Amino acid sequence: MQTSSSTQTIEENELDPRSKLCIVFALSSVAVFVQKIWLLALILMLGMVLTYLLGENLHLFKRFGRIIWLFVGIAVIQSIFTPEGIPLIAIGKIRLLTVGGLEKGVCFLLRIMAIIVPASIMISTGTREIIQGLVQWKVPYEIAFMVSLAIRFLPLLSEEIKDTFIAIQLRGIELDKIPLGKRLRMYSYLFMPVLSGVILKARELSTAMETRAFRAFPRRTSYRVLKLQNQDYLVMGMSLCFVIVVLTINFYYKGGF
Amino acid sequence: MLGYSDKQQAFIEVNKIAYTYPQGTQVILDMTTKFYPQQFTAIVGSNGSGKTTLGKLLAGIFKPTSGQVLIAGKLSTRLKLGEIGQKVGYLFQEPERQIFAPSVREEIGFVLNFRGVSEREIAEKVAKMLNLFHLAELKDEYPFRLSRGEKQRLALAAILVNEPIFLILDEPTTGLDLHRREELSQILQELKLQGLGLVVISHDEDFVNANADRVLEISGGEIIADQQLHPNDRGE
Ligand SMILES: Nc1ncnc2c1ncn2[C@@H]1O[C@H](COP(=O)(O)OP(=O)(O)O)[C@@H](O)[C@H]1O
Ligand SMILES: [Mg+2]
Repeated sequence: MQTSSSTQTIEENELDPRSKLCIVFALSSVAVFVQKIWLLALILMLGMVLTYLLGENLHLFKRFGRIIWLFVGIAVIQSIFTPEGIPLIAIGKIRLLTVGGLEKGVCFLLRIMAIIVPASIMISTGTREIIQGLVQWKVPYEIAFMVSLAIRFLPLLSEEIKDTFIAIQLRGIELDKIPLGKRLRMYSYLFMPVLSGVILKARELSTAMETRAFRAFPRRTSYRVLKLQNQDYLVMGMSLCFVIVVLTINFYYKGGF
Repeated sequence: MLGYSDKQQAFIEVNKIAYTYPQGTQVILDMTTKFYPQQFTAIVGSNGSGKTTLGKLLAGIFKPTSGQVLIAGKLSTRLKLGEIGQKVGYLFQEPERQIFAPSVREEIGFVLNFRGVSEREIAEKVAKMLNLFHLAELKDEYPFRLSRGEKQRLALAAILVNEPIFLILDEPTTGLDLHRREELSQILQELKLQGLGLVVISHDEDFVNANADRVLEISGGEIIADQQLHPNDRGE
Protein backbone atom coordinates (compact mmCIF):
# COMPACT_ATOMS: atom_id res chain seq x y z
CA MET A 1 0.00 0.00 0.00
CA GLN A 2 2.88 2.30 0.57
CA THR A 3 3.26 4.81 -2.20
CA SER A 4 6.74 5.96 -2.88
CA SER A 5 5.83 9.59 -3.37
CA SER A 6 3.65 10.17 -0.37
CA THR A 7 1.22 13.04 -0.64
CA GLN A 8 1.36 14.29 2.87
CA THR A 9 4.95 14.52 3.74
CA ILE A 10 5.68 14.50 7.37
CA GLU A 11 9.16 15.56 8.17
CA GLU A 12 11.44 12.63 8.70
CA ASN A 13 12.28 13.38 12.29
CA GLU A 14 8.71 14.18 13.30
CA LEU A 15 7.41 11.95 16.04
CA ASP A 16 4.72 9.43 15.26
CA PRO A 17 1.31 10.60 16.55
CA ARG A 18 1.17 7.49 18.68
CA SER A 19 4.36 8.49 20.44
CA LYS A 20 2.84 11.86 21.14
CA LEU A 21 -0.27 10.18 22.51
CA CYS A 22 1.94 8.12 24.80
CA ILE A 23 3.69 11.22 26.10
CA VAL A 24 0.41 13.00 26.73
CA PHE A 25 -1.11 9.98 28.34
CA ALA A 26 1.89 9.37 30.58
CA LEU A 27 2.12 12.97 31.77
CA SER A 28 -1.60 13.53 32.29
CA SER A 29 -2.33 10.23 33.99
CA VAL A 30 0.57 10.63 36.36
CA ALA A 31 -0.60 14.14 37.21
CA VAL A 32 -3.93 12.70 38.32
CA PHE A 33 -2.37 10.41 40.92
CA VAL A 34 0.58 12.28 42.29
CA GLN A 35 0.07 13.90 45.70
CA LYS A 36 3.36 15.64 46.38
CA ILE A 37 3.62 19.25 45.39
CA TRP A 38 7.25 19.18 44.27
CA LEU A 39 6.57 16.13 42.13
CA LEU A 40 3.57 17.82 40.54
CA ALA A 41 5.64 20.92 39.85
CA LEU A 42 8.31 18.76 38.25
CA ILE A 43 5.78 16.99 36.06
CA LEU A 44 4.30 20.30 34.98
CA MET A 45 7.73 21.64 34.10
CA LEU A 46 8.57 18.55 32.12
CA GLY A 47 5.22 18.86 30.36
CA MET A 48 5.92 22.47 29.45
CA VAL A 49 9.38 21.70 28.14
CA LEU A 50 8.15 18.80 26.03
CA THR A 51 5.21 20.81 24.71
CA TYR A 52 7.58 23.56 23.74
CA LEU A 53 10.07 21.19 22.15
CA LEU A 54 7.32 19.62 20.09
CA GLY A 55 6.65 22.99 18.56
CA GLU A 56 3.55 23.97 20.47
CA ASN A 57 3.27 27.47 21.79
CA LEU A 58 1.96 27.63 25.29
CA HIS A 59 -0.99 29.85 24.44
CA LEU A 60 -3.18 27.75 26.70
CA PHE A 61 -1.72 29.75 29.54
CA LYS A 62 -3.83 32.70 28.61
CA ARG A 63 -6.88 30.79 29.72
CA PHE A 64 -5.57 30.29 33.20
CA GLY A 65 -6.76 33.70 34.27
CA ARG A 66 -10.13 32.26 35.14
CA ILE A 67 -8.72 29.25 36.95
CA ILE A 68 -6.72 31.50 39.25
CA TRP A 69 -9.92 32.55 41.01
CA LEU A 70 -10.97 28.99 41.44
CA PHE A 71 -7.56 28.39 42.96
CA VAL A 72 -7.89 31.27 45.42
CA GLY A 73 -11.36 30.00 46.29
CA ILE A 74 -10.15 26.49 46.96
CA ALA A 75 -7.24 27.72 49.06
CA VAL A 76 -9.60 29.80 51.20
CA ILE A 77 -12.24 27.11 51.56
CA GLN A 78 -9.62 24.53 52.52
CA SER A 79 -8.17 26.95 55.06
CA ILE A 80 -11.53 27.64 56.68
CA PHE A 81 -12.78 24.09 56.88
CA THR A 82 -9.63 22.08 57.39
CA PRO A 83 -7.49 24.55 59.26
CA GLU A 84 -4.15 22.80 59.11
CA GLY A 85 -0.89 24.59 59.50
CA ILE A 86 -0.02 28.10 60.46
CA PRO A 87 -2.65 30.75 59.76
CA LEU A 88 -1.48 33.42 57.34
CA ILE A 89 -4.57 35.62 57.27
CA ALA A 90 -7.20 35.49 59.97
CA ILE A 91 -10.24 37.56 60.92
CA GLY A 92 -10.88 37.06 64.59
CA LYS A 93 -11.00 33.31 65.09
CA ILE A 94 -11.73 32.48 61.48
CA ARG A 95 -8.63 31.49 59.59
CA LEU A 96 -9.03 32.78 56.08
CA LEU A 97 -5.77 31.44 54.78
CA THR A 98 -3.53 28.80 56.28
CA VAL A 99 -0.37 27.13 55.06
CA GLY A 100 -2.32 23.89 54.68
CA GLY A 101 -5.05 25.57 52.62
CA LEU A 102 -2.57 27.33 50.43
CA GLU A 103 -0.82 24.04 49.84
CA LYS A 104 -4.04 22.39 48.68
CA GLY A 105 -4.80 25.31 46.37
CA VAL A 106 -1.34 25.19 44.81
CA CYS A 107 -1.69 21.45 44.45
CA PHE A 108 -4.96 21.87 42.59
CA LEU A 109 -3.60 24.51 40.26
CA LEU A 110 -0.49 22.50 39.46
CA ARG A 111 -2.51 19.38 38.84
CA ILE A 112 -4.92 21.07 36.43
CA MET A 113 -2.09 22.66 34.51
CA ALA A 114 -0.07 19.46 34.44
CA ILE A 115 -3.05 17.69 32.88
CA ILE A 116 -3.97 20.38 30.38
CA VAL A 117 -0.59 21.57 29.14
CA PRO A 118 0.58 18.30 27.59
CA ALA A 119 -2.85 17.83 26.00
CA SER A 120 -2.10 20.78 23.78
CA ILE A 121 0.55 18.62 22.12
CA MET A 122 -2.26 16.73 20.43
CA ILE A 123 -4.12 19.78 19.23
CA SER A 124 -1.75 20.48 16.38
CA THR A 125 -1.48 16.84 15.40
CA GLY A 126 -3.78 16.21 12.48
CA THR A 127 -6.95 14.24 13.16
CA ARG A 128 -6.08 11.96 10.27
CA GLU A 129 -2.69 11.07 11.64
CA ILE A 130 -4.12 10.19 15.02
CA ILE A 131 -6.81 7.99 13.50
CA GLN A 132 -4.42 6.32 11.18
CA GLY A 133 -1.87 5.65 13.87
CA LEU A 134 -4.49 4.00 16.05
CA VAL A 135 -5.98 2.02 13.19
CA GLN A 136 -2.56 0.62 12.42
CA TRP A 137 -2.44 -0.52 16.02
CA LYS A 138 -5.59 -2.51 15.25
CA VAL A 139 -7.78 -0.15 17.22
CA PRO A 140 -11.20 -0.32 15.50
CA TYR A 141 -11.67 2.60 13.18
CA GLU A 142 -14.74 3.92 14.99
CA ILE A 143 -12.95 4.09 18.29
CA ALA A 144 -9.87 5.67 16.75
CA PHE A 145 -12.14 8.21 15.17
CA MET A 146 -13.80 8.97 18.48
CA VAL A 147 -10.50 9.38 20.27
CA SER A 148 -9.34 11.85 17.69
CA LEU A 149 -12.66 13.65 17.87
CA ALA A 150 -12.59 13.74 21.63
CA ILE A 151 -9.24 15.49 21.42
CA ARG A 152 -10.57 17.91 18.88
CA PHE A 153 -13.89 18.55 20.55
CA LEU A 154 -12.74 18.88 24.11
CA PRO A 155 -13.50 22.61 24.08
CA LEU A 156 -17.03 21.96 22.78
CA LEU A 157 -17.55 19.51 25.56
CA SER A 158 -17.83 22.27 28.12
CA GLU A 159 -20.83 23.62 26.20
CA GLU A 160 -22.43 20.20 26.33
CA ILE A 161 -21.80 19.91 30.05
CA LYS A 162 -23.47 23.25 30.64
CA ASP A 163 -26.61 22.13 28.78
CA THR A 164 -26.68 18.93 30.74
CA PHE A 165 -26.49 20.84 34.00
CA ILE A 166 -29.45 22.92 32.88
CA ALA A 167 -31.42 19.85 31.92
CA ILE A 168 -30.89 18.09 35.23
CA GLN A 169 -31.84 21.17 37.24
CA LEU A 170 -34.97 21.58 35.16
CA ARG A 171 -36.01 18.18 36.46
CA GLY A 172 -36.60 19.97 39.71
CA ILE A 173 -33.27 19.30 41.36
CA GLU A 174 -31.98 22.22 43.40
CA LEU A 175 -28.26 21.68 43.35
CA ASP A 176 -27.51 23.72 46.44
CA LYS A 177 -30.07 21.87 48.54
CA ILE A 178 -28.74 18.40 47.93
CA PRO A 179 -26.45 17.00 50.62
CA LEU A 180 -22.86 16.48 49.53
CA GLY A 181 -22.96 12.68 49.37
CA LYS A 182 -26.00 12.68 47.13
CA ARG A 183 -24.56 15.46 45.06
CA LEU A 184 -21.56 13.37 44.12
CA ARG A 185 -23.91 10.63 42.99
CA MET A 186 -25.81 13.19 40.96
CA TYR A 187 -22.66 14.28 39.19
CA SER A 188 -22.19 10.73 38.04
CA TYR A 189 -25.45 11.08 36.15
CA LEU A 190 -24.00 13.93 34.14
CA PHE A 191 -21.50 11.68 32.34
CA MET A 192 -24.14 9.86 30.41
CA PRO A 193 -25.53 12.64 28.23
CA VAL A 194 -22.10 14.16 27.75
CA LEU A 195 -20.62 10.88 26.64
CA SER A 196 -23.53 10.03 24.40
CA GLY A 197 -23.30 13.51 22.91
CA VAL A 198 -19.71 12.92 21.93
CA ILE A 199 -20.42 9.50 20.48
CA LEU A 200 -23.39 10.81 18.53
CA LYS A 201 -21.34 13.64 17.12
CA ALA A 202 -18.65 11.20 16.10
CA ARG A 203 -21.22 9.01 14.41
CA GLU A 204 -22.87 11.88 12.61
CA LEU A 205 -19.55 13.11 11.38
CA SER A 206 -18.38 9.74 10.18
CA THR A 207 -21.68 9.19 8.36
CA ALA A 208 -21.44 12.60 6.81
CA MET A 209 -17.92 11.87 5.70
CA GLU A 210 -18.83 8.52 4.27
CA THR A 211 -21.75 9.81 2.30
CA ARG A 212 -19.33 12.22 0.75
CA ALA A 213 -17.23 9.22 -0.23
CA PHE A 214 -14.51 10.24 2.13
CA ARG A 215 -14.63 6.83 3.66
CA ALA A 216 -12.31 5.84 6.36
CA PHE A 217 -8.64 6.10 6.06
CA PRO A 218 -7.60 2.53 5.44
CA ARG A 219 -9.35 2.51 2.10
CA ARG A 220 -8.04 5.73 0.80
CA THR A 221 -5.13 5.40 -1.52
CA SER A 222 -3.42 8.71 -1.10
CA TYR A 223 -2.09 8.31 2.34
CA ARG A 224 1.16 7.38 3.85
CA VAL A 225 1.53 4.45 6.14
CA LEU A 226 2.90 5.51 9.47
CA LYS A 227 5.94 3.64 10.54
CA LEU A 228 7.38 3.64 14.01
CA GLN A 229 11.01 4.66 14.00
CA ASN A 230 13.65 4.03 16.61
CA GLN A 231 12.97 7.38 18.19
CA ASP A 232 9.33 6.38 18.67
CA TYR A 233 10.20 3.18 20.47
CA LEU A 234 12.54 5.22 22.61
CA VAL A 235 9.86 7.78 23.46
CA MET A 236 7.29 5.14 24.28
CA GLY A 237 9.75 3.21 26.42
CA MET A 238 10.69 6.37 28.24
CA SER A 239 7.04 7.31 28.80
CA LEU A 240 6.42 3.95 30.42
CA CYS A 241 9.54 4.24 32.61
CA PHE A 242 8.48 7.74 33.55
CA VAL A 243 5.08 6.57 34.77
CA ILE A 244 6.60 3.74 36.78
CA VAL A 245 9.32 5.88 38.34
CA VAL A 246 7.04 8.76 39.25
CA LEU A 247 4.38 6.53 40.79
CA THR A 248 7.02 4.63 42.73
CA ILE A 249 8.44 7.85 44.11
CA ASN A 250 4.99 9.09 44.95
CA PHE A 251 4.00 6.03 46.90
CA TYR A 252 7.26 5.03 48.55
CA TYR A 253 9.20 8.20 49.14
CA LYS A 254 8.07 9.41 52.53
CA GLY A 255 10.18 12.48 53.09
CA GLY A 256 9.27 16.06 52.29
CA PHE A 257 5.76 17.11 51.42
CA MET B 1 -49.26 22.52 43.89
CA LEU B 2 -50.80 25.80 43.05
CA GLY B 3 -54.53 25.92 42.52
CA TYR B 4 -55.91 27.81 39.58
CA SER B 5 -59.50 28.60 40.37
CA ASP B 6 -59.16 31.90 38.55
CA LYS B 7 -58.67 30.90 34.97
CA GLN B 8 -57.71 34.36 33.89
CA GLN B 9 -54.52 34.11 35.88
CA ALA B 10 -51.67 33.63 33.42
CA PHE B 11 -49.01 31.08 34.34
CA ILE B 12 -46.28 32.59 32.20
CA GLU B 13 -46.26 36.27 31.33
CA VAL B 14 -43.93 37.71 28.75
CA ASN B 15 -43.41 41.43 28.83
CA LYS B 16 -41.59 43.21 26.00
CA ILE B 17 -38.76 40.75 25.90
CA ALA B 18 -35.73 40.90 23.64
CA TYR B 19 -32.94 38.38 23.46
CA THR B 20 -29.49 38.58 21.94
CA TYR B 21 -27.09 35.64 22.04
CA PRO B 22 -23.75 36.39 23.68
CA GLN B 23 -22.09 36.18 20.26
CA GLY B 24 -24.32 39.00 19.10
CA THR B 25 -27.20 37.49 17.11
CA GLN B 26 -30.40 39.22 18.10
CA VAL B 27 -33.09 36.59 17.86
CA ILE B 28 -36.04 38.00 19.80
CA LEU B 29 -36.84 41.66 19.17
CA ASP B 30 -39.98 42.50 21.08
CA MET B 31 -42.59 40.08 22.33
CA THR B 32 -45.43 40.44 24.78
CA THR B 33 -47.90 37.68 25.54
CA LYS B 34 -49.37 35.41 28.21
CA PHE B 35 -49.78 31.69 28.61
CA TYR B 36 -52.57 30.15 30.64
CA PRO B 37 -53.27 26.93 32.49
CA GLN B 38 -55.52 24.54 30.59
CA GLN B 39 -54.55 26.04 27.29
CA PHE B 40 -52.63 24.36 24.47
CA THR B 41 -50.58 26.97 22.65
CA ALA B 42 -48.62 26.01 19.56
CA ILE B 43 -45.64 28.11 18.57
CA VAL B 44 -44.96 27.93 14.86
CA GLY B 45 -42.55 29.65 12.51
CA SER B 46 -39.91 28.80 9.95
CA ASN B 47 -36.57 27.22 10.81
CA GLY B 48 -34.31 29.61 12.63
CA SER B 49 -37.14 31.99 13.48
CA GLY B 50 -36.32 31.73 17.17
CA LYS B 51 -38.86 29.18 18.44
CA THR B 52 -36.35 27.26 20.50
CA THR B 53 -34.88 30.48 21.84
CA LEU B 54 -38.34 31.67 22.90
CA GLY B 55 -39.06 28.33 24.53
CA LYS B 56 -35.86 28.57 26.55
CA LEU B 57 -36.78 32.09 27.63
CA LEU B 58 -40.20 30.87 28.77
CA ALA B 59 -38.57 28.09 30.78
CA GLY B 60 -36.12 30.48 32.41
CA ILE B 61 -33.11 28.76 30.83
CA PHE B 62 -32.21 32.01 29.11
CA LYS B 63 -32.84 35.32 30.80
CA PRO B 64 -34.14 38.08 28.52
CA THR B 65 -31.68 40.81 27.55
CA SER B 66 -34.47 43.28 28.19
CA GLY B 67 -38.07 42.96 29.36
CA GLN B 68 -39.40 40.36 31.80
CA VAL B 69 -40.60 36.80 31.90
CA LEU B 70 -42.82 35.98 34.87
CA ILE B 71 -43.25 32.33 35.80
CA ALA B 72 -46.07 31.73 38.28
CA GLY B 73 -45.85 35.41 39.12
CA LYS B 74 -42.12 35.50 39.76
CA LEU B 75 -39.41 37.04 37.62
CA SER B 76 -37.46 34.34 35.78
CA THR B 77 -34.23 36.13 36.71
CA ARG B 78 -35.02 35.55 40.38
CA LEU B 79 -35.79 31.85 40.06
CA LYS B 80 -33.32 29.01 40.21
CA LEU B 81 -33.65 26.37 37.52
CA GLY B 82 -34.30 23.78 40.18
CA GLU B 83 -37.28 25.74 41.43
CA ILE B 84 -38.65 26.24 37.95
CA GLY B 85 -38.23 22.55 37.22
CA GLN B 86 -40.59 21.66 40.03
CA LYS B 87 -43.43 23.43 38.24
CA VAL B 88 -42.45 23.52 34.60
CA GLY B 89 -41.52 20.54 32.48
CA TYR B 90 -39.27 21.38 29.54
CA LEU B 91 -38.57 18.97 26.71
CA PHE B 92 -35.38 19.76 24.79
CA GLN B 93 -35.38 19.56 21.02
CA GLU B 94 -32.52 17.03 21.33
CA PRO B 95 -33.64 14.25 23.67
CA GLU B 96 -30.05 13.03 24.19
CA ARG B 97 -29.25 16.09 26.24
CA GLN B 98 -31.65 15.06 28.93
CA ILE B 99 -31.17 11.35 29.32
CA PHE B 100 -28.98 10.60 32.29
CA ALA B 101 -29.44 7.13 33.67
CA PRO B 102 -28.19 3.73 32.51
CA SER B 103 -31.66 2.21 32.28
CA VAL B 104 -35.10 3.36 31.18
CA ARG B 105 -36.62 2.62 34.56
CA GLU B 106 -33.92 4.48 36.46
CA GLU B 107 -34.16 7.42 34.10
CA ILE B 108 -37.78 7.95 35.08
CA GLY B 109 -37.23 7.42 38.79
CA PHE B 110 -33.87 8.87 39.75
CA VAL B 111 -34.99 12.46 40.19
CA LEU B 112 -37.71 11.41 42.61
CA ASN B 113 -35.04 9.60 44.54
CA PHE B 114 -33.05 12.82 44.89
CA ARG B 115 -36.15 14.59 46.01
CA GLY B 116 -36.68 12.17 48.84
CA VAL B 117 -39.72 10.27 47.57
CA SER B 118 -40.05 6.81 49.11
CA GLU B 119 -38.93 3.76 47.12
CA ARG B 120 -42.44 2.35 47.02
CA GLU B 121 -43.96 5.54 45.72
CA ILE B 122 -41.22 5.81 43.11
CA ALA B 123 -41.87 2.27 41.89
CA GLU B 124 -45.57 3.05 41.55
CA LYS B 125 -45.05 6.25 39.64
CA VAL B 126 -42.44 4.74 37.37
CA ALA B 127 -44.72 1.82 36.54
CA LYS B 128 -47.50 4.24 35.67
CA MET B 129 -45.25 6.18 33.30
CA LEU B 130 -43.87 3.02 31.71
CA ASN B 131 -47.40 1.99 30.87
CA LEU B 132 -48.58 5.38 29.74
CA PHE B 133 -45.71 5.69 27.27
CA HIS B 134 -45.57 2.01 26.28
CA LEU B 135 -42.07 1.63 27.58
CA ALA B 136 -42.71 -1.27 29.94
CA GLU B 137 -40.96 -3.79 27.71
CA LEU B 138 -37.93 -1.55 27.46
CA LYS B 139 -37.69 -0.84 31.16
CA ASP B 140 -34.25 -2.41 31.59
CA GLU B 141 -32.94 -1.23 28.26
CA TYR B 142 -29.99 1.12 27.98
CA PRO B 143 -31.59 4.45 26.95
CA PHE B 144 -28.82 5.22 24.52
CA ARG B 145 -29.88 2.24 22.42
CA LEU B 146 -33.46 3.43 22.00
CA SER B 147 -34.77 4.86 18.76
CA ARG B 148 -35.28 8.59 18.46
CA GLY B 149 -39.02 8.26 19.05
CA GLU B 150 -38.51 6.03 22.07
CA LYS B 151 -36.01 8.48 23.53
CA GLN B 152 -38.53 11.25 23.01
CA ARG B 153 -41.19 9.27 24.87
CA LEU B 154 -38.75 8.42 27.64
CA ALA B 155 -37.72 12.05 28.08
CA LEU B 156 -41.38 13.03 28.28
CA ALA B 157 -42.14 10.28 30.80
CA ALA B 158 -39.22 11.43 32.94
CA ILE B 159 -40.57 14.96 32.89
CA LEU B 160 -44.16 14.05 33.63
CA VAL B 161 -43.28 11.85 36.58
CA ASN B 162 -42.44 15.14 38.33
CA GLU B 163 -46.08 16.18 37.91
CA PRO B 164 -45.37 19.64 36.49
CA ILE B 165 -48.21 22.12 36.16
CA PHE B 166 -46.95 23.60 32.92
CA LEU B 167 -45.24 21.96 29.96
CA ILE B 168 -42.97 23.45 27.32
CA LEU B 169 -42.20 20.96 24.56
CA ASP B 170 -39.77 21.69 21.75
CA GLU B 171 -40.70 19.67 18.64
CA PRO B 172 -42.12 16.70 20.54
CA THR B 173 -43.35 14.85 17.46
CA THR B 174 -39.95 14.51 15.82
CA GLY B 175 -39.23 10.85 15.26
CA LEU B 176 -42.76 9.71 16.14
CA ASP B 177 -44.79 7.77 13.59
CA LEU B 178 -48.45 8.54 12.98
CA HIS B 179 -49.67 6.12 15.59
CA ARG B 180 -47.32 7.43 18.30
CA ARG B 181 -48.20 10.99 17.43
CA GLU B 182 -51.84 10.11 17.93
CA GLU B 183 -51.02 8.70 21.34
CA LEU B 184 -49.02 11.77 22.27
CA SER B 185 -52.01 13.92 21.32
CA GLN B 186 -54.21 11.92 23.63
CA ILE B 187 -51.79 12.14 26.52
CA LEU B 188 -51.39 15.89 26.12
CA GLN B 189 -55.13 16.45 25.85
CA GLU B 190 -55.64 14.39 28.98
CA LEU B 191 -53.06 16.51 30.82
CA LYS B 192 -54.81 19.65 29.64
CA LEU B 193 -58.09 18.40 31.05
CA GLN B 194 -56.32 17.88 34.36
CA GLY B 195 -55.45 21.57 34.31
CA LEU B 196 -51.97 21.75 32.77
CA GLY B 197 -50.95 24.57 30.51
CA LEU B 198 -48.98 23.62 27.42
CA VAL B 199 -46.68 25.42 25.03
CA VAL B 200 -45.74 23.19 22.13
CA ILE B 201 -43.20 24.25 19.54
CA SER B 202 -43.90 22.39 16.35
CA HIS B 203 -43.97 22.64 12.63
CA ASP B 204 -46.09 19.54 12.36
CA GLU B 205 -49.17 21.18 10.90
CA ASP B 206 -51.56 18.27 11.41
CA PHE B 207 -50.50 17.89 15.00
CA VAL B 208 -50.96 21.61 15.65
CA ASN B 209 -54.37 21.72 14.00
CA ALA B 210 -55.58 18.68 15.87
CA ASN B 211 -54.44 19.89 19.29
CA ALA B 212 -53.86 23.59 19.63
CA ASP B 213 -56.34 26.01 21.16
CA ARG B 214 -54.14 28.84 20.09
CA VAL B 215 -51.40 29.31 17.52
CA LEU B 216 -48.63 31.86 17.91
CA GLU B 217 -46.65 32.47 14.78
CA ILE B 218 -43.27 34.11 15.11
CA SER B 219 -41.01 35.61 12.49
CA GLY B 220 -38.23 38.16 12.51
CA GLY B 221 -38.12 38.13 16.30
CA GLU B 222 -41.73 39.16 16.72
CA ILE B 223 -45.14 37.59 17.09
CA ILE B 224 -46.78 38.05 13.71
CA ALA B 225 -50.01 36.18 14.39
CA ASP B 226 -51.88 35.06 17.50
CA GLN B 227 -54.85 33.00 16.55
CA GLN B 228 -57.48 31.28 18.68
CA LEU B 229 -58.33 27.95 17.02
CA HIS B 230 -60.89 26.52 19.35
CA PRO B 231 -62.54 29.49 20.98
CA ASN B 232 -62.96 28.50 24.60
CA ASP B 233 -64.76 29.82 27.59
CA ARG B 234 -62.10 32.33 28.47
CA GLY B 235 -63.80 35.00 26.40
CA GLU B 236 -60.64 36.64 25.10
N1 LIG C 1 -26.31 29.19 20.97
C1 LIG C 1 -26.52 30.08 19.97
N2 LIG C 1 -25.65 31.08 19.74
C2 LIG C 1 -25.85 31.97 18.77
N3 LIG C 1 -26.88 31.96 17.94
C3 LIG C 1 -27.80 30.99 18.09
C4 LIG C 1 -27.67 29.98 19.12
N4 LIG C 1 -28.72 29.15 19.03
C5 LIG C 1 -29.47 29.59 18.01
N5 LIG C 1 -28.92 30.70 17.44
C6 LIG C 1 -29.48 31.45 16.31
O1 LIG C 1 -30.73 31.98 16.68
C7 LIG C 1 -31.66 31.86 15.62
C8 LIG C 1 -32.89 31.15 16.10
O2 LIG C 1 -32.58 29.83 16.48
P1 LIG C 1 -33.65 28.87 17.12
O3 LIG C 1 -34.27 29.54 18.29
O4 LIG C 1 -32.99 27.57 17.37
O5 LIG C 1 -34.73 28.75 15.95
P2 LIG C 1 -35.83 27.62 15.66
O6 LIG C 1 -35.99 26.78 16.86
O7 LIG C 1 -37.07 28.40 15.32
O8 LIG C 1 -35.36 26.84 14.47
C9 LIG C 1 -30.94 31.16 14.50
O9 LIG C 1 -30.56 32.12 13.55
C10 LIG C 1 -29.74 30.55 15.13
O10 LIG C 1 -28.67 30.56 14.25
MG1 LIG D 1 -35.73 24.82 17.25
